Amino acid sequence: MNSSSWLWRILGWTALICLLVLLTGFGWALKDTWFPNVGQTLPEKSAPETATGGDWSGKKELFVTSIGDSLTKGTGDATGEGYVTRVVDSLAKQMDKPVHLVNNLAVNGLKAHELATELGQVGYRNAIGKADIVLMTIGGNDLFQIAQDGGSLIEGGDLSPELLLEQLPETEPRLETVFRKVRELNPTARIIYVGLYNAFYDLPEMRPASEVVAKWNDFAYGLAKADGNATVVPTYDLFEFSINRYLSSDHFHPNADGYARISDRIVQALQ
Amino acid sequence: MANMLALIHNETLKVWKKKRFAVIVLILMILIPVFVYAQMKISQSTTEKFHSDWRSELQSRITDNTNALSSDRIPEEWKKWRRALVQQLQYYLDHDINPQTPNAVTFTRTFMDNSVTLFIPLMVLAIASDLVSSERSTGTIKMLLTRPVRRWRILMSKLVTLTLYVSLIVITTALLCYLVSGLVFGYGGWGEPVFVGFQVQGADVNTNGVHAVTQGVYLLMQSGLIWVSAMVVSIIALMISVLVRSTAASFVTMMATIIAGTILANMASSWKSAKYLFNVNLDISSYLRGTPPPIEGMTLGFSLAILAIWGAAALIVSFTVFTKQDILN
Repeated sequence: MNSSSWLWRILGWTALICLLVLLTGFGWALKDTWFPNVGQTLPEKSAPETATGGDWSGKKELFVTSIGDSLTKGTGDATGEGYVTRVVDSLAKQMDKPVHLVNNLAVNGLKAHELATELGQVGYRNAIGKADIVLMTIGGNDLFQIAQDGGSLIEGGDLSPELLLEQLPETEPRLETVFRKVRELNPTARIIYVGLYNAFYDLPEMRPASEVVAKWNDFAYGLAKADGNATVVPTYDLFEFSINRYLSSDHFHPNADGYARISDRIVQALQ
Repeated sequence: MANMLALIHNETLKVWKKKRFAVIVLILMILIPVFVYAQMKISQSTTEKFHSDWRSELQSRITDNTNALSSDRIPEEWKKWRRALVQQLQYYLDHDINPQTPNAVTFTRTFMDNSVTLFIPLMVLAIASDLVSSERSTGTIKMLLTRPVRRWRILMSKLVTLTLYVSLIVITTALLCYLVSGLVFGYGGWGEPVFVGFQVQGADVNTNGVHAVTQGVYLLMQSGLIWVSAMVVSIIALMISVLVRSTAASFVTMMATIIAGTILANMASSWKSAKYLFNVNLDISSYLRGTPPPIEGMTLGFSLAILAIWGAAALIVSFTVFTKQDILN
């Protein structure tokens, strides 16, 4: 037999086998789509992550998890870092040991009751369970409801201090739930709640809103005290006299400098 | 029948001697290492960031996509896609299954998913586009047609040859991909579970029919579906090759159609009737993944029917024209 005949045989048979394999695959796909069976059993779930607790100075590394709304996400910061990355970096520098961000789970526009629901998710359970430090901001979207649509904020929209005050009794129990759930997920982590500020301090008619914000922060501080291993880092004073310098162009979120100031405070509180 | 076999034998060797298949293998051998290297770099940096904790990486993907959902600048169609993705990823996380275990099978599966709309058709066209037209441009068609063989048999032998090569190309792509990526990611992963059966219903993903299959089975099903879509492309290319004299013209026509299909699939969701075009329906392996189809109302059955109709029509045209046309020049 000559070489071309051999080539044809090998080529022909190989291609035919490939064809049969692919036809089997196609048939299988049809069957699986239209007449699915139960499928294989899944491997056992592994145990959720747990924090080691204990004194920080004895630890080789620290884990940080952050949850909450756009402030924790870092919205408005052109460098994209937000306060979370800054806190992690400067904490690592000051404590001279690796500090790891487990996850930044913040979602833009999240409200307190949504966060409470999210806290039941596996991903939150793992990330918070592992952490030594939990950073969070929440409640801003509950109080300043129109915070979603950026542009029109400058006019203040239908926002009024009275309206904010009305929201307060409704929102406070939600914050309580969030604190309680985070604590359930991790009995040893230090919780840092970043307080609210009045982003509309420069509008005369919105100046009284600062009182509402102060009430809210006060309530949060009460929760933190009751918890024992939590604290509230105040931010209400940071932006009042120089709003334009530290807030981003959406007039609601801090800019890079604003986030840097928040992160300085958090690092100070943690030491 | 022996006659037919001899014709197929002849055609197969002709394609082989023209080194078309060798070129395809060469392209694969250059491209796959490039992608493997890129993927390696990506996974290195993610392992560094997440300390090889896939759960927090997965949660991070979920959070990122959720955040993208809250932006007003993202078109509604993309949101639908992301919403489905978030729900799928959440399903994986809830069942404690890593959707992207780092191994050669996962890489192959992802590579095949990404190559079904452009890369595989391109390779198939390298063979299909000049199957008939090259005989005409070189003049050998006259030799072929003056033999005492019916014309439809000649075209049939070309079709069978094409089928054989398409099968060869799909399997070779998967195999080379597996062999090359295994060097970096390890050759395991056949038994890892993958979820199939997600059903996109409006904004929600129905998880009632979801069940796990092994990655090996998934790869087999996926290759089968990719083969079907590659076959339809090659049959239509065969038709163009019968109709057009120049190989370059037939290749460019097909390639333009395929590329138009991928663009349309990305933007045509408001032009509903685009779903009857074959080139929007080529990504049939996406139904296994459960990603939302480009246009509302498309299902695996629908896409297969559309592809079958286009394929059948192309065959009818090819055979009618080829048996009737005059050969002049």
